[in-house]
Amino acid sequence: MTIGGWVTMFLSLSVVWGGTFWCYKKVLTTPQEEKVPSGYGA
Amino acid sequence: MATEHHKEEWGSKLGVILAVAGSAVGLGNFLRFPGQAAANGGGAFLIPYFTALVLLGIPIGWSEWAMGRYGGQKGLHSAPGIMGIIGKGRIARYLGVIGVLIPLGVSFYYVFIEAWTFGYFLKYLTGGIGIDNAASIADQGATAAAYYQDFTGTREDGVLLTSGLNLTLISWITVFVINVFFVFRGLSKGIEKFVSFAMPVMAVAALIVLIRVLTLGTPDPAVPEQSVLNGLGYMWNPNYSKLADFQTWMAAAGQIFFSLSVGFGVIINYSSYMKKRDDVVLSGLAAASTNELFEVGFGGMITLTAAVVFLGLSGTTAAVATGSFGLGFTTLPVVFAQMGIWENFIGAVWFFMLFLAAITSSLSMYQPAVAFIKEGMGWSHTKSTGAVVAMAVIGTSLTLWFTKDGAFWSTLDFWVGTLLIFVMAAVQIIFFSWVFGIERGWKEMHAGASIRIPPVFKIVMKYIAPAYLIIIFIGFCVQNLRPSLAAAWSTTGSRMAMLMIVATALVLIAVVAVGERRWRAAGIDLDDQFPDKENQL
Repeated sequence: MTIGGWVTMFLSLSVVWGGTFWCYKKVLTTPQEEKVPSGYGA
Repeated sequence: MATEHHKEEWGSKLGVILAVAGSAVGLGNFLRFPGQAAANGGGAFLIPYFTALVLLGIPIGWSEWAMGRYGGQKGLHSAPGIMGIIGKGRIARYLGVIGVLIPLGVSFYYVFIEAWTFGYFLKYLTGGIGIDNAASIADQGATAAAYYQDFTGTREDGVLLTSGLNLTLISWITVFVINVFFVFRGLSKGIEKFVSFAMPVMAVAALIVLIRVLTLGTPDPAVPEQSVLNGLGYMWNPNYSKLADFQTWMAAAGQIFFSLSVGFGVIINYSSYMKKRDDVVLSGLAAASTNELFEVGFGGMITLTAAVVFLGLSGTTAAVATGSFGLGFTTLPVVFAQMGIWENFIGAVWFFMLFLAAITSSLSMYQPAVAFIKEGMGWSHTKSTGAVVAMAVIGTSLTLWFTKDGAFWSTLDFWVGTLLIFVMAAVQIIFFSWVFGIERGWKEMHAGASIRIPPVFKIVMKYIAPAYLIIIFIGFCVQNLRPSLAAAWSTTGSRMAMLMIVATALVLIAVVAVGERRWRAAGIDLDDQFPDKENQL
């Protein structure tokens, strides 16, 4: 494993792990609209 | 529609994200991506790969999410209905048939491949596939290859259906029934419930295999070059000279494109069940991130690393050359056989993980067709599901019969699962940016969004993504079209596949014709003449 290999691996893993973590944190902390009662708009 | 008694929708915002991510994460994340990366510059491949993600995958995905949600507000949930609205007319509506043909056509063979993963999982639960690890690696490879050929029936047409009740058939029946069960239960109670369980379990399974692979060290001190570090190096050491090769950029764009399932007809259908102010920007980003986590974070770390540890660099290079299925179903069983007491456990976890990756994808393939038949014909959910199941039984029965050399399913895979995806994605991004209008599309995407897309993406969506797509499409056709045209009519299996594609397309076109009359009569704004009008059907 070369230094270039370590660098690309860690950068890529940081992007995908960090990006996924950030997205789900944002999704879970953003308030959800109230669910429309069943039958609405039917 | 008139026959429905309630409006279908997702139970939670996480549900639709996991469903789209589940649709995107498939066998290619674990088997195709590492092979593509290793063959195209290793770590350097990630530069064109992430470039394509930002300029192609995510923008087209966002447009698809926004189009689906907009169409859903107008009362339509199928690609033909929604594309007609976005493209303001009949041409776009009929082109939208491709968005139903792709998932349905791919399901004809994908569920068969899904059955392989389930069958291999059962075999590893009950003692493995019979590889003797005392034999030479070449002999073990031959055993694994013979088992694969027998299991998939690639030696002869009809062998799987004329040799009694075999494990392949049992596996296929099982996975088909599971698929039908969850699709029949509907969006929220079926698909959403299943993916909410399956996605976390798949992540745990991937983590177990990853930890085992990363702790393999150097199993044979007599062969120190066969180590985890060299395995990681095989995948990640960058060869920047490959960046000067157009083929590398095309391979990266193709991998992103197929992996994210954009242009597949699923996102547009799934997002049509979102509410008016549900966040499509963040949802699209979260689903794409999840796919990337499984592809780069797990696929990029597990498959080739394990292969190098036990097969060496030359053995792994030879394995990569056998393609995704050779790597997954022939090479990795040999790798697992070298793990001693871990063989059956890791084998079972690995194939169970692949099974979950496959079933979360196949579930998404039936739903667009069910939604289309439902709203096109005005049938109930039960009747529409029954019609799709009938088509699927015909399609998969042909796949099960014409197994020789995989001619039937590889023909479907090329024409429906590859070529038409390019066409559909191009149709979508062009109609969205140029007919619906980028300014209006921008406003639509940001309705209810908790994050803002950088304005430069207007240029990306209007000019760069369509141009990028057309360039790789031309490159793809130059490389593949001539041999594929010749192969399409060369065997009985391939001819049957072509006929199946045409027959399915004709049925779907007929449904659009019926649906168009019904929708118009029902007062749906199907050509988007009144942009502010929502449909209350």
